[in-house]
Formats: sequence, C-alpha cells, structure tokens
Amino acid sequence: MTVFSDALKVSTSGMRAQAERLRYVSENIANADTPGYRRKLVSFEEELGRDQTPGAVSTGPVSLDQTSLDRIYDPTNPLSDESGYFDGSNVNLLIEVADAREASRSYEANLKIFEQVRQMSSALMDLLRK
Amino acid sequence: MYDSLDLFRVSSVMARHAGAQQSLVATNVANADTPGYRAMSLPAFSDTHRASSGIGLRMTRLGHMELPDQSGMPRPFAGSGESAPNGNSVSIEEEMLNAIEAQRQHNQALAIYRHAMGLIRTSLGR
Repeated sequence: MTVFSDALKVSTSGMRAQAERLRYVSENIANADTPGYRRKLVSFEEELGRDQTPGAVSTGPVSLDQTSLDRIYDPTNPLSDESGYFDGSNVNLLIEVADAREASRSYEANLKIFEQVRQMSSALMDLLRK
Repeated sequence: MYDSLDLFRVSSVMARHAGAQQSLVATNVANADTPGYRAMSLPAFSDTHRASSGIGLRMTRLGHMELPDQSGMPRPFAGSGESAPNGNSVSIEEEMLNAIEAQRQHNQALAIYRHAMGLIRTSLGR
C-alpha cells in the first residue's frame, strides 16, 4: 500500500510544482508592459530530504532573466531619458505562452497518473470487499 | 496461509511489481521538467520472475533461514533514451504507455488472485 501512497504523493508534488510554474508565467505575462521588469524564471529540482518522499519534485529558487531589457522609443513617456528611450520589460509573450502550454501538459500528465494509481489501489481494495 | 499456494504467491508478486512500476512512472512524470533527471524503469515481470524462481533457497520449514531479499523486487535502472538539452530523458508519451501497461498487469494479477480465491471457496463448498 505504501507504494501507492508514495506514488500519489509524488504526482501531487509534480502537480504543485507545475502549478507554481504556471503562476510565475502568469506573473510575467501580467507584467509584460511594466517598465524595467525582468521575467522570473523558476527551475525544478528533485526533493532530497529525510522526511520527503523519494522522487518528489519541487520548484527551486526564483531567478531573474538577465537578458537586456527592451529599449522603447517614446519621448512623451515620463520615464524616457534625453534620447527619448526608456527601458521596457524583457518578457517575450510567445515564450511565456509556450511555457504555459508545456506546464499545463505536464500537469495533465500528472493528473492522469494520479487517477490511474487511485484506480489500481481501489481495485486492490475491491478484493477485500467480497 | 495464502502465501504457501503458488497461484497466490505469483499473483501477489506480480501485483507488487506492477505497483512498483507505477510508482516509478509517477516519479518520472513528476520530474518530466527537472533538469538532469534520468527516467527510471523496472525490468519486465516475466523476465525477473523467471530469473528469481528456481534458484535461491527453498524454505520448507519455519526454522529455515530466510534470505534478506526474498521479495525478489528487481532494481530500477535508468533508461537509455534520448535526452533533452537540459539533460532530462523523460518522454511523457512513453510514460503513459508504461502506466497503462502497469495498470493492465495489476488488473491481471488481481483477476488471477480473485479466481484462485473463488476456486478455494468452491472446493470448500461455500
């Protein structure tokens, strides 16, 4: 039985990590037009610890994308310098949408596995019923 | 009592194998985006079962010594699949296939178990 409960815990951790990733993606998209915003990146790592389930996954520390910010020409903007440019954000919407797709695909895969493990353990329980 | 009957023993080992395989699939899918993770899987049940039965000590009395690894659970190994640029070798499609395979094997094992139980019930006349 512990195999099944471990598997359920691991797929739950996967879903949680993907949901967190999706949260950062939405944060990036929301701030796509914020001047000076750098997109947030989050990485996955295997959870290693004494009381953790082996194989569970969690999100690592957030880092900021260090690519150069977009230079936008708009002399009427109060943020612009003498030459009429100001720093935009370095969010690329195309990348964010692709990232969101990948996250939701992985989330669904985890959900499928969760359902299947549950079916297997309930089939085992059905043996006891009779 | 059930362990001593071969039919029960084989089916329960088979179900345990399917459970372990499913748990590995869950780990692989959860780590589908972890950089540097290698997908793990178990060798097929038919191979490991054939290898584990036959050799090994037989216990015919309670006083006989028990081997520490009598469960016969094989060790998981990392597959040699192609890996993504970040060093991850999990393919979700393949994991789906493995998961279905494990579920079918589990259902099969449980069906055998149930059938054997029915056989005993019939012979007892209940």
